[in-house]
Amino acid sequence: MQVKVIFGEENLTEDIPENFTIKDLLKKLEIPSETVVVKKNEAIVIEEMLIQEGDTLEIIKVIFGG
Amino acid sequence: MNTCSKCGNPHIIIRRKHSGQNLCQECFIESINQKVLSNIRKTMLIEKGDKVLMALSGGKDSVVALHIMNSLQEKNVIDLVAVTIDEGIEGYREEGIEIAKANAKELGVKHRIVRFEDYFGRTLDKMMELDEINQNSTNPRHACTYCGVFRRWILNRVAQEEGATKIATGHNLDDETQSILMNYLEGNINNLIRIGPKTESRDERFTVKIKPLREIPEKEIGLYAIAADLNVHLAGCPYAGDSFRREVGQFIKELSENHHTIMYSTLRGFDKIKPVLKKEFTLKGNNGKCRRCGEPAAGELCKACSFLENWEQNL
Ligand SMILES: [Zn+2]
Ligand SMILES: [Zn+2]
Repeated sequence: MQVKVIFGEENLTEDIPENFTIKDLLKKLEIPSETVVVKKNEAIVIEEMLIQEGDTLEIIKVIFGG
Repeated sequence: MNTCSKCGNPHIIIRRKHSGQNLCQECFIESINQKVLSNIRKTMLIEKGDKVLMALSGGKDSVVALHIMNSLQEKNVIDLVAVTIDEGIEGYREEGIEIAKANAKELGVKHRIVRFEDYFGRTLDKMMELDEINQNSTNPRHACTYCGVFRRWILNRVAQEEGATKIATGHNLDDETQSILMNYLEGNINNLIRIGPKTESRDERFTVKIKPLREIPEKEIGLYAIAADLNVHLAGCPYAGDSFRREVGQFIKELSENHHTIMYSTLRGFDKIKPVLKKEFTLKGNNGKCRRCGEPAAGELCKACSFLENWEQNL
């Protein structure tokens, strides 16, 4: 299934399998999860949250230089 | 299982692995406010009537600290004034200054912007250029060394100018545990015993520094900034940081994955042994005065002035 991912200036469309969590997505994108906050359809979510078809995920980097 | 431990709200934004607590957005924000205020009370960081100078870079840590400290100003417990230091880092600092300004304005906090250039005659960028030219220097320093020394000098000077009784900084739990481990591993006991919620210098001409966010993990401060919809400068300094600090930070992060309480226990253990270390290792004397700027100094010159004189001689 397809989801929209916003990361900084980037706007991506990602193809992901069913039952994919935020954590799985971050791993796929090689983004260390301890450095970001993720919003799913504009609400902050925990990394165990399941992603659904058509979701918009915004990944906000909050920790730098670590 | 997946509802807020405090109010039952099904939409949680954090699972605190160190405590097993789940929190919704509102309860998380409230829990940080309470935790910071209770730490301030517990470690006696402020007294009623203090004038607190907040070192406000515009980054998440200092902006979150400013907002929480402002709640104490609103209750008439303290007077608050913010200072933003413009080190002169092109392409990075400008945005932080604008964001710092906007936050101070929003809260109605008095705000000053002070520049390295005005106090030291050159920006940090220029200092780094000079250093490159003076390759003769036996031990090349990285930007953080200069930045730290000159920032401390300015903060202390501005605190005096403003009549501030405390200087507050945005140091978080990650910063603090890194410092503890770094100094311990390097055997730098002198610096180790200066770590704490309240950095009392051995010289009373230095204004007392306080760290209201010392027990909050960096990740939670980032989450708070987003959850409370604060205007924060999310960017990394273009100068590569202290590489040993980065390595130690990485090591602690890796450990934390399987040992969720490791940062807290490092801090607690250190706070317990610190009084003994301090009693045993505090250096006496050294209450000199820098002949150039009049600030406290161990030798004839304070660190800031010794850098400045060194450049002048090499020009
Ligand atoms: Zn709640
Ligand atoms: Zn001096």
